[in-house]
Amino acid sequence: MEEWRFEPAHDFGLSAEQRRLSLRREVGLESAISCFLWRSITRLYLAIAHRLKIRGRENLPKRPPFVLVANHASHLDAIILGGILPLRFVGAVFPIAAGDTFFTKRASSIFATAFMNALPIWRKNCGAHSLEDLRERLLQGRSVYILFPEGTRTRTGAMATFKPGLGRLVSGANVPIVPCYLNGTFAALPASGTVPRKCGGSAGELGASAAEDSGSYNTAITT
Amino acid sequence: MDPIARERLFGFRHAFDSPVTLWITIAVIAALLIATVIIWLLHARGRTSDKLHDELVKRVVSWAVMTPLLLGPVLLGAAWTILAVAILSVLCYREFARATGFFRYRSLSIVVVLGIIATTFAIADRWYGFFVAIPPLTMVLLAMVAILRDEPRGYTQRVGLGVLGFLLFGLCLGHLGYMANDADFRPIVMLIILTVELNDVFAYITGKTFGHRKITPQTSPNKTLGGALGALVLTTTLVSTVGHFVFAGSGVDTPVKLIGLGLIVSVSGQFGDLMVSSIKRDIGIKDMGALIPGHGGLLDRFDSMLLVAPAVFHYIGFFRGFGLDQPTRIFTGGG
Repeated sequence: MEEWRFEPAHDFGLSAEQRRLSLRREVGLESAISCFLWRSITRLYLAIAHRLKIRGRENLPKRPPFVLVANHASHLDAIILGGILPLRFVGAVFPIAAGDTFFTKRASSIFATAFMNALPIWRKNCGAHSLEDLRERLLQGRSVYILFPEGTRTRTGAMATFKPGLGRLVSGANVPIVPCYLNGTFAALPASGTVPRKCGGSAGELGASAAEDSGSYNTAITT
Repeated sequence: MDPIARERLFGFRHAFDSPVTLWITIAVIAALLIATVIIWLLHARGRTSDKLHDELVKRVVSWAVMTPLLLGPVLLGAAWTILAVAILSVLCYREFARATGFFRYRSLSIVVVLGIIATTFAIADRWYGFFVAIPPLTMVLLAMVAILRDEPRGYTQRVGLGVLGFLLFGLCLGHLGYMANDADFRPIVMLIILTVELNDVFAYITGKTFGHRKITPQTSPNKTLGGALGALVLTTTLVSTVGHFVFAGSGVDTPVKLIGLGLIVSVSGQFGDLMVSSIKRDIGIKDMGALIPGHGGLLDRFDSMLLVAPAVFHYIGFFRGFGLDQPTRIFTGGG
């Protein structure tokens, strides 16, 4: 008789705080439920208050792994992109978030992990191994990443140049990249704002479009 | 709601109706204080190294946190006892699921958790028929839901782990909660929790003192024959002595039956410990988690309770019964 194969959680044996910071974190039932609740509430809010419209949803791959990349103007961005993915991906979707913004304070790191399921990347000294960990996790095939290659929110509304991290994450791997364009999030909640502006005129109206994965995209950003 | 049931579920004024409850509460608090003083004295006189001292302090602090979490609900009332057992069940199951990797099968995991919730409801309702109906129904659901993946490879393991997880943490621990349906549940539940935990302590101490021959070198190399027999003698003595006051005048209150109860607590307690050790060895991990500093996971601490709860429940139930005079189906009605 063949023996049973056990594969403990990759973050097994870590304390709650270590788990939040770990790039090997695996989502259990409790985080899946809290992420689902957060996703439901924010979807409703975005649909009503900002009249969010989504185009090109059919271009999303059917199953993990893949990487959603988008322009970055607002804290709403990751919430929008998390919300457009189908329900069955809840718990598999990980926004890659700035560790120095979201993971330095206890409360915000709990929020970022329990509701957004974010993984931290440290912008100042992230080191090669944390990108290597993220890459390895992506190649295992169970994860979807939401990534903003500009590395920070735009302060002017214009798109900045991309950082090279995305290329190192996926180069040579057969992982689809889905470029998305987010429109209106800068007007609704720019980096300088604290409270989102509701949809009065066109200012708070949001649009997100997912384009088809272009084969040359991968090399385009590494070079 | 029936007034008798309400008093049992929420009547915290009855906390110390039984003198045994009061003794055990005082004894446990005293033991914690004495342990603290001894540890401090040993260190002040240089008898313990810094490393050992830190380890001991960690353990005492953990116990100081766990004791009110264990005793508090029992003193407050049956509703809180049942709820505390339910939380313990879910947290233990979570550690098991993460250790085995079963948590990745999310729909199956939901079935197990729903089974635990349903068990908790059956206990609170004092509806024994539903309580015994849930295990087969959970098994049926697991077998069906596991098919939906359409992936026969590993099917037996997936269903098997789900059934084992539910039986160990939903059903076995559920028996501890079901004891709260007795009008006189406080001394019984306290006696069992106290003696099961002391059984471990007795085995550790007598094993350190008299233990030479290893009994399970493959499963748990630290277990010795001396420790096992020492715990058997000490726990049986303690259970039968305190049990005489807890079960005074009932069918269990004869020397032979009280000794039988003590043997069941000690033997099934030690086997529960070894069972979790076997599971850990099989998976290839050292601890079941990192929740309790100095102890490891919750399961590393409450492993002994898993097999004791059903064994003791049915032993006492056979000679005495649990809450036979209490109203049944409190919330669902129907008598």
